[in-house]
Amino acid sequence: MKIPKYFVPLIVLIALVGGYFLRTAFTQPTTNVVVGSGEGMTLDCIVDGVKCRGTAEFFTSLYKDKPGIKRIETFASDHRVVFTFDPELITPMRIRNIMEAQISLEDGTTVQAFKCVSME
Amino acid sequence: MKTRYIRYALLTVSLGLVTYLALGFGVQSFEAFCPFGGMESLWGLFRAGEFSCALGPLNLSMLVAVLLLTLLAKKSFCGWACPIGFLGELCGHAGGVVNKKKLRPGERLDTALRMLRYVVLVVALVFTYKAGELILRGYDPFYLIFSGVGHGTAGVFSYATLAILVIGAFAVPMFFCRYLCPLGAVLDPFSRLGVVKIYRDESKCTNCASCQTACPHDIPVHSLSRVRRRDCTNCLECVDACPEEGVLSIRAGL
Repeated sequence: MKIPKYFVPLIVLIALVGGYFLRTAFTQPTTNVVVGSGEGMTLDCIVDGVKCRGTAEFFTSLYKDKPGIKRIETFASDHRVVFTFDPELITPMRIRNIMEAQISLEDGTTVQAFKCVSME
Repeated sequence: MKTRYIRYALLTVSLGLVTYLALGFGVQSFEAFCPFGGMESLWGLFRAGEFSCALGPLNLSMLVAVLLLTLLAKKSFCGWACPIGFLGELCGHAGGVVNKKKLRPGERLDTALRMLRYVVLVVALVFTYKAGELILRGYDPFYLIFSGVGHGTAGVFSYATLAILVIGAFAVPMFFCRYLCPLGAVLDPFSRLGVVKIYRDESKCTNCASCQTACPHDIPVHSLSRVRRRDCTNCLECVDACPEEGVLSIRAGL
């Protein structure tokens, strides 16, 4: 069956656009740390600095002993972090302050590793 | 209108989009659009339900989309959307302007070198699956170019790799795609099955070989009745280059 030559770019475009929207079918995290049990509120953040598994693991370590955090899911390719937390023990603003705090490096200098771009 | 203009327009958009993301605009990382990242993420997903390193859902969905596209229209992703293939093609054209006689390895050497893609594929997957990190990103031209030899690269070795790839791209047409691209290796079996391909009307063909000269992958279209070669990207350069009316056409068939 003969096909017009413009068919090729058309199906390439359809495949790429389709691939983009198909991503919602594969929503798996980069890291998924469950600290506490039970229900809680969720906080969806875009965090500048969470860009790979290494930075995601370091990011979650900042909340290691913080009361009220129940679960942290990171999605490195989207720079996205989803917290599940107990609002009676920790507030969204406190969560933000922890991630944006200055971090001491081995050479004695301090640096802000993460910046919250948006919170929902 | 020549299909090359449409193809270059699409490729420019693709290159522009990746550059835009690489410069820090937009939420997605530029790496998220690489279909090979989908391959690299499979083991992590299977083992722990988590993506490795900077990979994400978009890598996997792009891989699925590109595999389906390849089953339908061979490696059209490579010829119509891949920014690395586009840069390689532009370098090849620039190299052709400087040195009119393109460097074409002999058939046996060429066949042997094409096997390197499979070696790169196996090494990339084994290292990624073992470490859970993109250890070879320091040697990946897509990452090196768009990150500006950034985080996680291998310093002087990364620069050396990039230099070799650039020199190779100027000297041999589609150097990286032909010999080293691991995504190309993944797509090879799917491309052989591709439904939409170039057909040649042997009764009208004058065997002038303009098609082979125009083909970025040096496929001898004038000696085939239909192009089933795994390297064909359906770029349609051969169709545009053919001086005879109706000799080459695109058809669907097994």
